[in-house]
Amino acid sequence: MHMIKLKNNNARFFVFLFMLPSLLIYLLFQILPLAGALYFSVMDWNGIAGSPVTFVGGKNFLEVFQNKDFLIALKNMGTMVIFSVLFHTPIALLTAVVINTKCKGYRMFKALFFVPTVFPLSAAGLMWYFVFMPTGAFNSLLSTVGLGGFVTPWLVNQSTAMNTIVFVNIWAGIGYYMVIILAGLTTIPEEVHEAAAIDGAGIVKKFFWLTVPMLKSTLTMCIVMDIIGSVKVFDLVFAMTGGGPNGLTNLPTTLLYNETFKYKHMGLGSAIGVVILAICLAGTLISNAVVKHKSD
Amino acid sequence: MKKTKIILMYLFLFIMAAIFAMPMLFTLLSSVKTKTEIFSEPFALPKIIQWKNYVEAWTGANMSRYFINSLIQAGATVIILVMVASMAAYVLSRFSFRANQFLVIFFMLGMMVPMHTVIVPISYIIGNLKLTNNILALILVYVAFGLPFSILVITNFMRSINRSLEEAALIDGATYFQIYYKIMLPLTVPAISTVSIFNFLGAWNNILFPLLFINDKSLKPIALGLLNFNGERGSEYGPLMAAIMITVAVPMLLYLLFQEKVESGLAAGSVKE
Repeated sequence: MHMIKLKNNNARFFVFLFMLPSLLIYLLFQILPLAGALYFSVMDWNGIAGSPVTFVGGKNFLEVFQNKDFLIALKNMGTMVIFSVLFHTPIALLTAVVINTKCKGYRMFKALFFVPTVFPLSAAGLMWYFVFMPTGAFNSLLSTVGLGGFVTPWLVNQSTAMNTIVFVNIWAGIGYYMVIILAGLTTIPEEVHEAAAIDGAGIVKKFFWLTVPMLKSTLTMCIVMDIIGSVKVFDLVFAMTGGGPNGLTNLPTTLLYNETFKYKHMGLGSAIGVVILAICLAGTLISNAVVKHKSD
Repeated sequence: MKKTKIILMYLFLFIMAAIFAMPMLFTLLSSVKTKTEIFSEPFALPKIIQWKNYVEAWTGANMSRYFINSLIQAGATVIILVMVASMAAYVLSRFSFRANQFLVIFFMLGMMVPMHTVIVPISYIIGNLKLTNNILALILVYVAFGLPFSILVITNFMRSINRSLEEAALIDGATYFQIYYKIMLPLTVPAISTVSIFNFLGAWNNILFPLLFINDKSLKPIALGLLNFNGERGSEYGPLMAAIMITVAVPMLLYLLFQEKVESGLAAGSVKE
């Protein structure tokens, strides 16, 4: 089992030829833009091809953190991250454990919970947009069951709009984490459960003293992935509110899009992009540490 | 298991199922109802099935165009991606040279880059290369963002393939290209299908990149065309719901056909996040 050494020109040429396409595409459309993001974040530019790009140093970052809209977006991001983490992994864990009993109909339930994961988020967002419309299905459902007092334009009302989007994000993600946890569950050997059963452990006890500890690294991974994923939510907000009412449901991602394409603040936009990158990098580093810990 | 436990379990499953099915059921039902029916009784069956909503969405609102665009864009992304990623993976998994390790890590770097971070520079690059409204540019951007995960998955898979077959072929005088094409690719199909499904869904579902540099309506993908339809004719609820169903049909079909593969493929993508 040894690697092929590049001892003749033929092999060298082959390696060059086979690496070239992927390297070219990768450099041009991933590495160059990444470098460009860092570059533009310290520049001022109005977004029109041909107009001057001037160096302004850290001004964009200063502006970003003094910008009221960005602070709102950051706060929304915090809400998104906290509630996603609070609901995604615990509900996904519970669902996975129940589905793992292979009870009657478990395949159908699993498919139902997972299928939103494959939808375009723009389509999923639009589904819920119509459900939560002022005259939509949810309000009509509330009235039918005698909860008419709660009827409100969910995505227009300033105090409910963000939470509604957070709810949809939770709905859209549970299946994904459920499948990851299900894969983790299959690695727990059957004998462990049998041993626990012989010792007389009940279902609840087994859950907290056996399942959760044995899945610790999987669950930690889910939470870290969830944090990074929630930071990157864009499509849902774009489809459901576009950041409104009054920019109150903007996330850093949608604010970045609006700043750059509506107001042509390219430098400011890039600075927001770099902040998003920094948050995701921190998340990735933590996740790597977790994985390393897992393999030790 | 005790009876109460089973009852509790199903109670939980049914509550979850109700929440999960609600928007999908509402959309499905509404897609074949009249506007009045949608609002008067959201969860009732239609009196007459309004197939004309689908006709209106498909032809009147141009969903057919968007649908074909997405098929082409996602399909071409997968084909190019599988080609270039498997070529790189063959080299990285079989040839020893100084830059090998560096290249592996270099490609992994891309997994950490959120698409949103590059919104400004990528628009700048595309604009300056005069590639706005160019489908190939969109596809190459998808390929670039799919490369890290795809190379990782295919390289790891190729590393696990036994080398005796290739070594025998080399002795018989086969070229490296023949070995790649005739031996490695067929053996790598499981990894390639994972990568294909993952990236097909990624391209089908993406709206950010087409938002940035596809302005021409006739070139837009379905996930974005749907939002356009809503923006322009937001009160035609029946046809809009039909359009949503058309948009989710392909991902849903893919999932129903390849359930295990889609689940494991997306879970493998968890490395990417």
